[in-house]
Amino acid sequence: MTAAVEFLNVSRHFGSIRAVDRLDLMIAEGTFFAMLGPSGSGKTTCLRLISGFEQPTGGVIRIFGQDCSAVPPNRRNVNTVFQDYALFPHMNVRDNVAYGLMVRGVDKRTRLARADELLGLVKLDDYGKRKPGELSGGQRQRVALARALINEPRVLLLDEPLGALDLKLREAMQDELKALQQRLGITFVFVTHDQSEALSMADQVAVFSDGKIAQIGTPAEIYDKPRTRFVADFVGSSNVLSSDMAAHFGGPARPASLRPESVRIVDDGARVHGHVTTLRYLGSGTRVVVTVPGGEISVFLGKEALLPEKGSAVGLTWDSQAMHVMEQD
Amino acid sequence: MTLAADLTPREAKPNGAVLPSRGLGDRVSAVFWRHPNVLLVTLLALPLLWLVVVYLGSLAALLLQSFYSIDEFSGMIRREFTLSTYAELLRPANMDIIIRTVSMSAAVTLGAVIIAFPIAYFAARYARGHWKALFYLGVMLPLWSSYLVKVYAWKLILAREGIITWVTDGIGASAVLNGILALPVIGGSSLSTSYIGTWLVFLYVWLPYMILPMQASLERVPQSMLEASADLGASRWQTLRTVIFPLALPGIIAGSIFTFSLTMGDYIIPQIVGSSRRFIGQAVYQLQGTAGNIPLAAAFAVVPIVIMLIYLTIARRKGAFDAL
Repeated sequence: MTAAVEFLNVSRHFGSIRAVDRLDLMIAEGTFFAMLGPSGSGKTTCLRLISGFEQPTGGVIRIFGQDCSAVPPNRRNVNTVFQDYALFPHMNVRDNVAYGLMVRGVDKRTRLARADELLGLVKLDDYGKRKPGELSGGQRQRVALARALINEPRVLLLDEPLGALDLKLREAMQDELKALQQRLGITFVFVTHDQSEALSMADQVAVFSDGKIAQIGTPAEIYDKPRTRFVADFVGSSNVLSSDMAAHFGGPARPASLRPESVRIVDDGARVHGHVTTLRYLGSGTRVVVTVPGGEISVFLGKEALLPEKGSAVGLTWDSQAMHVMEQD
Repeated sequence: MTLAADLTPREAKPNGAVLPSRGLGDRVSAVFWRHPNVLLVTLLALPLLWLVVVYLGSLAALLLQSFYSIDEFSGMIRREFTLSTYAELLRPANMDIIIRTVSMSAAVTLGAVIIAFPIAYFAARYARGHWKALFYLGVMLPLWSSYLVKVYAWKLILAREGIITWVTDGIGASAVLNGILALPVIGGSSLSTSYIGTWLVFLYVWLPYMILPMQASLERVPQSMLEASADLGASRWQTLRTVIFPLALPGIIAGSIFTFSLTMGDYIIPQIVGSSRRFIGQAVYQLQGTAGNIPLAAAFAVVPIVIMLIYLTIARRKGAFDAL
């Protein structure tokens, strides 16, 4: 498998701020790759380094093996779906979509026919004549997608493309994006701060923290085997047990993560006892926070489970393999 | 203890859900809140009165005068509807004045667009903080001094004994200057007595009116739109032509309304700097003053209005305001 995008020791510093710091990264061709992290973690800068809107202060960026250091954005075979969609307000939807072909000198009939095809692909067949201002957020998002795909890029970059949509639409678009990526076979690089979005859509997830990648792996690896406290915490609010607690529960004296859904409330055979401090209803279940000696442990209880009362004493247990020892703190 | 109790002294703490009125201001503002139209009428009554009576009223009076005519024998105004005054505009001497003025206005506008664009673009896209303040200061500063002072200063700069002649002589480029002055129509015996000189002074005095609206419209073009254009493969020139220019067009049109109409109405600059041939403003000035031909003066004054209306209609047809 070839590398669609390769970062070799890449840095992007803004003065004393290290937005991206000595980063190595390999994105395989045809993958749906998510860059996940809180704001300011360097994920968007990374995306802009691929598109060419930022230039690295150090290191080498290769796109399909070619060094892109001296290649301006308009000559990279990479397209972007912008966070604010950046549709041209003075052009109608068809002209917006056809723009990439227009600047390449493709004649009007061919490019508009192609634009119509792409509008069909994103299910906006009858919207060609409208102006972007007359569309809803979700429709604009589709137009931006069609516009970015018209040049048949080898890598499609998506900068928080679903951030401005409401929950229902976001979920529908997640499925559509995923299906589209599988159909087209293009490498998608997707920036998001929403961990559930990254986990549900991506083949590979890179978790960013302070300009570096904290962990890279499949969604299951990231979720079940977080390498650092940061990853455990950011991806799915895991319980992070201190090294003392981990040792007390029979593990090595190293910090460990424990998913709330792996913890059970039991009457007999509890590993630890504590008091319920908070009950938080989440719709799909309830998150129960239990204060135990040395810290807190969150427990996720499904709908069918019997809820303990606030302040009551409970016993907790979990399977030994549910406790994942982390490599770093 | 609640937060509110911490922040408010006990005696000032209201008991009910409704806070007591603090006087007339609160009561008036309550009326405005209940009836937003009352607020609108209160705010607009005086300016609207001014606009309708003084402004549009005098414009209507002007229009009316232009349909009267003058009795050439007695010099009295005949208050009867006629188009003969407008027919007078078509006389070759008067048409010359109109064509001269419109050409100058167009040249000034074009020059202003070309010079203002890079300045406005820099201010809108790159200038931040102190640089932005410096930009506004630089653009506005010339407006702080008297218009007459500036025009006379330009007369000295452009005069045969002025600094431009001195510099071109000094660097041995007087042949270039003489070559420019030898050009037909726009040339003359010196810059200060040629159309080039008039054009330069117009350009100088009206430039801020082009830069400011242009900068405002360029500022509203988001960075991501320029990036999207480049991302899709457009060169810088293509982005300028297909994205920046159309989006800045409403501002450019706004600026050109200023430069165009201000040039068309001015009667002082062509009198001080330039050849002695007359512009519309000068013609109006002389006709209503010494000649006492108010109807013809009014007809002349209607010309710029009509031209501006034609100009805006064309701009609208061409989609100049689509980005608004």
